[in-house]
Amino acid sequence: MRDLDRLTERMLRGLASRTSRRSLVGTVGRLLAGAAALPLLPVARAAEQSAPDTDPNSGQTPGFSTGNPQDPGDPTKCDYWRYCAVDGSLCTCYGGTVNSCPPGTEMSPVTWIGTCRNPADQRNYIISYNDCCGGVPWGRCACQNNQGDRPVVRPQNNNEVTWCFGVQSQSYTCTVAVILGVALDQH
Amino acid sequence: MTGRTRVWTVAAVAAVVSPLIAAAADFPTPLPSEPLMQVQRLPARYPTGWAFLNYAGDRIELRDVGADSREVKAELQAHDSATLLVSDVRPEIYVADTVWSRGTRGERTDFITVYDKQTLNVKGEIVLPGGKRALITAMEGLMTFTGDQRFAVVFNFTPASSVAVVDLTERKVANEIDIPGCSLVYPTGARGFSTLCSSGTLLSIRLGEDGKVVGRKESRAFNPLDTDPLFTASATVGGVRYFPSLHGRVQPIDMRGDEVKVLPDWRLVGDADAAANWRPSGWQIVAGDDKKLLYVVMQPDAHEGTHKDPGTEVWVFDVASKTRVKRLRLARPGSSIALTHGEQPLLLVQAGERLDVYDPAGGALVRSMDLPGFHTRLQIEPMR
Repeated sequence: MRDLDRLTERMLRGLASRTSRRSLVGTVGRLLAGAAALPLLPVARAAEQSAPDTDPNSGQTPGFSTGNPQDPGDPTKCDYWRYCAVDGSLCTCYGGTVNSCPPGTEMSPVTWIGTCRNPADQRNYIISYNDCCGGVPWGRCACQNNQGDRPVVRPQNNNEVTWCFGVQSQSYTCTVAVILGVALDQH
Repeated sequence: MTGRTRVWTVAAVAAVVSPLIAAAADFPTPLPSEPLMQVQRLPARYPTGWAFLNYAGDRIELRDVGADSREVKAELQAHDSATLLVSDVRPEIYVADTVWSRGTRGERTDFITVYDKQTLNVKGEIVLPGGKRALITAMEGLMTFTGDQRFAVVFNFTPASSVAVVDLTERKVANEIDIPGCSLVYPTGARGFSTLCSSGTLLSIRLGEDGKVVGRKESRAFNPLDTDPLFTASATVGGVRYFPSLHGRVQPIDMRGDEVKVLPDWRLVGDADAAANWRPSGWQIVAGDDKKLLYVVMQPDAHEGTHKDPGTEVWVFDVASKTRVKRLRLARPGSSIALTHGEQPLLLVQAGERLDVYDPAGGALVRSMDLPGFHTRLQIEPMR
């Protein structure tokens, strides 16, 4: 927590050194409002169909379905709709689920979000790609999809970063894909 | 044993032994005994046909990409997002890495290992305090020399951005500089670095003899992050650094002097190719031949989310005339490319679990090497 305080202090100092007081208040205000309304943000939706045609993990794991027709597909496979911007290993192959970490790991609260279209209900969902940290990584169910990924100049939009912050170990294990809410259309 | 069996046995033994006797007669002198405890040394100056291959920061190996066999020359330890600098002013190699005291848990240590370039023995170690080093898939910009190679600048991300300025001659951390909102580091001027900022600018910082900041300047905004951001991979041609963009522009930036010049951008993709959605794509997507040619991995039918997929062609541009001079069709789609620095450079292309070596002049595939254990990204660093 002390680290978080220091981090906050540093970020605000940095911001203060580069912005006027008026813009600082405006920016912080927007951030606070944004934190409360995150699932409602009009995040630009991916323009294309979310899943690639090929499945890089084909044959590695037996078929599996969520059992929910509104959440179709196999969460142990790279072409499952929520994984449209995953770059890493799928936690479903390590004892976790699509939205929970494997035993013995810790979920990072700091992460980045993407937007994926659900092929069943044709809605765009905001997906939080939390990394699970401190476990045993061995490259199983590696998955590289890059919908909405952008160069690391904006790290919050980049999936190459190990998003293991605010956890005991920053060693990467795998990634989950948690639905935060429905994305609003910009139109 | 009957008499008949005995005869057969003698015949069989004779059949086996007589060729041995004959073979021994062919080689009257036995092989000499050999000295024990030998360990290979590398040459003081690595040939320009050699390149370091960094497997996403998990493993680093040195290969002779000009050889058809025994091409692996050495391996270096790497654990997490490890990056490498090879000095040409000191006989040393520096690898920045991160480990935990109990495998993937326990106390975190960020450190730079100093290797002797010929023996690869460890000459020293510089611990980077605070557990701040950016853990990002190994890529350009995570660590750089300053121009004089006096300092290494290491990008930190916690997720606050800063850099550690490491004095390589004193082998200690000389300074830490906050770079809020900015990412990655590129060498600039005699002793400084530049960093790409989320406001679309480039922040350039000049360092003094002690590693402290003696100058700081931010460019105008030139990187349209919302519409057509620059890849963070670059290649140097004629001293100027070229950054392709996701949609097919290229942005030259002259970082040779302390006064950084953001030069006019130009298009890699003409109207017809743009209609076919040709775009740069891959990982280490761009390479330069040091003189006048820029090589870019290109992909047709590109769309949102394909910018890190392998490309099917490498396009070659003359940076003086800003025109495409060649299209090289790859035998296999490739993600990372590099050019060796010799008189007759080789084009190296990571294509899946292969490293394909092309003659860039004619475009012929010269050889193909395997990349055992490869599973994500490759950073290729040819030797000068």
